[in-house]
Amino acid sequence: MATSFITAHPFGDAYAARAGALPAVAWLESLRRFARAEIAGGLPGAQVEEWRFTPLTQLAKIGFIPAASADDVDVTAVPLDVPVVPGAVRVVLVNGVYRADLSDSLDGLDLRTLRDAVSSSKDMESAVGRVAPLSLPMVALNTAFMEDGLVIAVRGSVTRPVHIISIGAAGSSPVAFHPRVVITTEPGASLSIVETHIGLPGQPFLANPVTEVFVAEDAAVRRFVSVTEEGDAYHLATTVASVASRGTFEAFHMGLGGHKAEGTTRQEIHVVVNGEGTKVNVSGAYAIAGTMHHDFTTVINHRVGGSASRQVFKGVLDGRSHGVYQGRLRVAPDAQKTDARQVHKALFLAHGPAVDCKPELEIDADDVQCAHGAATGALDSDQLFYMAARGIDPETARALLVEGFLAEAIAEIGDESVRVVFAAQMAAWLQRRGGAS
Amino acid sequence: MAAISQTTAAVRDVEQYKYGFVTDIETERAPKGLNESIIRFISAKKDEPEWMLEWRLKAYRYWLTLGDQEPTWAKVTYPRIDYQDSYYYAAPKQQAKYESLDEVDPKLIETYNKLGIPLKEQQMLAGVAVDAVFDSISVATTYKKKLQELGVIFSPISEAVKTHPELVKKYLGSVVPYSDNFFATLNSAVFTDGSFVYIPKGLRCPMELSTYFRINEKNTGQFERTLIIADEGSYVSYLEGCTAPQRDENQLHAAVVELVALDDAEIKYSTVQNWYPGDENGKGGIYNFVTKRAACRGRNSKVMWTQVETGSSITWKYPSCILQGENSSGEFYSVAITNNRQQADTGTKMIHIGRNTKSRIVSKGISAGRSSNTYRGLVRVQGKADGARNYTQCDSLLIGDRCSANTVPYIESRNPTAQTEHEATTSKISEEQLFYCLQRGMTQEEAVSLIVNGFCKEVLQTLPMEFAVEAQKLVAISLEGSVG
Repeated sequence: MATSFITAHPFGDAYAARAGALPAVAWLESLRRFARAEIAGGLPGAQVEEWRFTPLTQLAKIGFIPAASADDVDVTAVPLDVPVVPGAVRVVLVNGVYRADLSDSLDGLDLRTLRDAVSSSKDMESAVGRVAPLSLPMVALNTAFMEDGLVIAVRGSVTRPVHIISIGAAGSSPVAFHPRVVITTEPGASLSIVETHIGLPGQPFLANPVTEVFVAEDAAVRRFVSVTEEGDAYHLATTVASVASRGTFEAFHMGLGGHKAEGTTRQEIHVVVNGEGTKVNVSGAYAIAGTMHHDFTTVINHRVGGSASRQVFKGVLDGRSHGVYQGRLRVAPDAQKTDARQVHKALFLAHGPAVDCKPELEIDADDVQCAHGAATGALDSDQLFYMAARGIDPETARALLVEGFLAEAIAEIGDESVRVVFAAQMAAWLQRRGGAS
Repeated sequence: MAAISQTTAAVRDVEQYKYGFVTDIETERAPKGLNESIIRFISAKKDEPEWMLEWRLKAYRYWLTLGDQEPTWAKVTYPRIDYQDSYYYAAPKQQAKYESLDEVDPKLIETYNKLGIPLKEQQMLAGVAVDAVFDSISVATTYKKKLQELGVIFSPISEAVKTHPELVKKYLGSVVPYSDNFFATLNSAVFTDGSFVYIPKGLRCPMELSTYFRINEKNTGQFERTLIIADEGSYVSYLEGCTAPQRDENQLHAAVVELVALDDAEIKYSTVQNWYPGDENGKGGIYNFVTKRAACRGRNSKVMWTQVETGSSITWKYPSCILQGENSSGEFYSVAITNNRQQADTGTKMIHIGRNTKSRIVSKGISAGRSSNTYRGLVRVQGKADGARNYTQCDSLLIGDRCSANTVPYIESRNPTAQTEHEATTSKISEEQLFYCLQRGMTQEEAVSLIVNGFCKEVLQTLPMEFAVEAQKLVAISLEGSVG
């Protein structure tokens, strides 16, 4: 169906010129060729089922230029409102490119930039594109145009969490950047990553990060991502994780949008369960206002049985925002003894927002326990009445109930110090909302 | 299998007859293929007024613009259908195939006995020449007379087109427009017959209406079209289909059912579908591509769909409710059972437009063998549907490790005062329950049947009583050979 894809988009020749940003090694060239072929098919429009709620029709009309060729972008410091994660190593990317001057020293860490890794080491061939398939349009776009990113190869247990701060900033023209983060673990290794994605005011930008996570046997990767949107940027992020036997993959994604936000955020998370006894938790929360569009898309694929996965997603919507949750739970034939749960709840704070939800189960094995739930609605008037009867003013009561509603999702964050940071960001959103209305 | 060999035999007969559908209006079948002449032929055969033919042609011309673009989003696979290789008209006077039940496939008789179907009905279902043996024609006429006295119009739609053109004109295509989808468009162009029901204001229809009583035209063919209108304050319960496996020669069925409920009216529509599902290897079997939709136009109107789907090799069916009237409500109760190589993609759409509209969805899918069973549903709450309420529950039961169960719900809410809830589970029959039953001396099959019936109870309860009893037995029969 040729009409389903938007073939007229700005990602063409201007980008080909930037391909030299990464060394021209043969395997990368070949990978990029395949990626470009995928992209030639176009960006997904509303006819593509996976993108029906988030078609890229408007995006394709913006004349983005490669961020690295914009010479009028000037970021000299990390904004002060970026939260501090206690004890973490700070790594700063501006428009997807590593900035040593803003980052902590990487000495002694298993952490390199993608540029370094590709030019200095041969094992990158098996790491880049190992788990993220080019069949995902955003992965193909990223692969075709990626210029930098991070490579984290974890041996043993990393005690200090890594805090990646990704700043998007456009100069006089809209820019696009496509960073790639590759995380690999050795058996038994463990790592915590916190990511803060923000944008500076100005022209729109497109952030198209792709994160590949390979969790080895008995290894554990915990990743906590927050995306804050105040303007009209596009943040289309894809994470693909592959988890081996007894591995743990925990992810928590938060999406925040202020009352002036009019951008589009899509956080797409794919997890492939490749071994028995794995533990997967992919959860998230979103609080959006303005005309922001926020999309959580998850695909948990249990290829092997004997594992558990859990998803808890909650969202509150204000203004004329649009929230989307699409979750697909797949249990392959013979993936017996799978235990998979999935829930999405959305709360309306005003007349005006829209919610689209599609929790999907695709089960090909019989000895499984799979369940999903979804609900949408406004605050419970009984609960509000209960609080009013106890002398709590309506505004406080509402704030308490909304906070309580989101707390169920935030509680999925396993790391306490991170939970505190995320809860504070969420609380600040609620407070700003109180001030705005 | 019998159905297939009959079909091939019939095809061979007709192929010898190559010309003349224009000259010989008495022919039993129109030639193969689909074109304007065929549609004119169907319309002429039915002695339809000009406007009806125009409507058909409009649909046909639109269908042509669709090319061969059948909907592909459903989770079913089947070989391409060659629409020029089918018959679109066969005369309704079907000849009886058998003189007595002795000639009928004993396997079929066995099934009838298990379902507890009376002998006379068996004869009718199997296609024995009923006129000679079946005396319920008089029963049917008695009923018909009574309905007429009450002002209920219950007739074949082909008759209604002539006797009540104003009603048909007003409502036909008003719920499922001819341009709705590929199969509905095809149906609009070539529909052969179906039921037309009109319940006058304030009347509670005293008996369950069923195609069953309209014996003379039980062979409504593959493109059935049903239109039911419940006027203000009326109530009707309509039964479609039959628990017994029916002889059927058409592989493709593309029916359209339209329901219209006006102020305070209620329609209850129950279906039991048990067409030929194909053999163990998925050979043969009916393709059931149906568009069913109800418009709850009036205030406080109510529509309730109940379906028990056990037959057909492919089911593609989404009985829906458009909840326009304030306070209107839609309910959907479904049991879909697939065994062997069957594929079912079924569910509902609830479109909340009016204020305080309510919908309830209970879907139970059971997959066994190597079958695939998908629930696909949409709950949409539009901006003005203040106070709308939806509850959805979809449960899937898997029997055997080679089948699949899928749940694809869409929930689209545009109103903060609306509440939607969706729950779904997938599991298998618990070992403990089975063990408990076996302990008490039940056979494995009896135990599974009991447990599955318990699983479906919530839906089966909504069926009219006799129907419910038969459906329970049907549930057990459909799963035969899937356990142990």
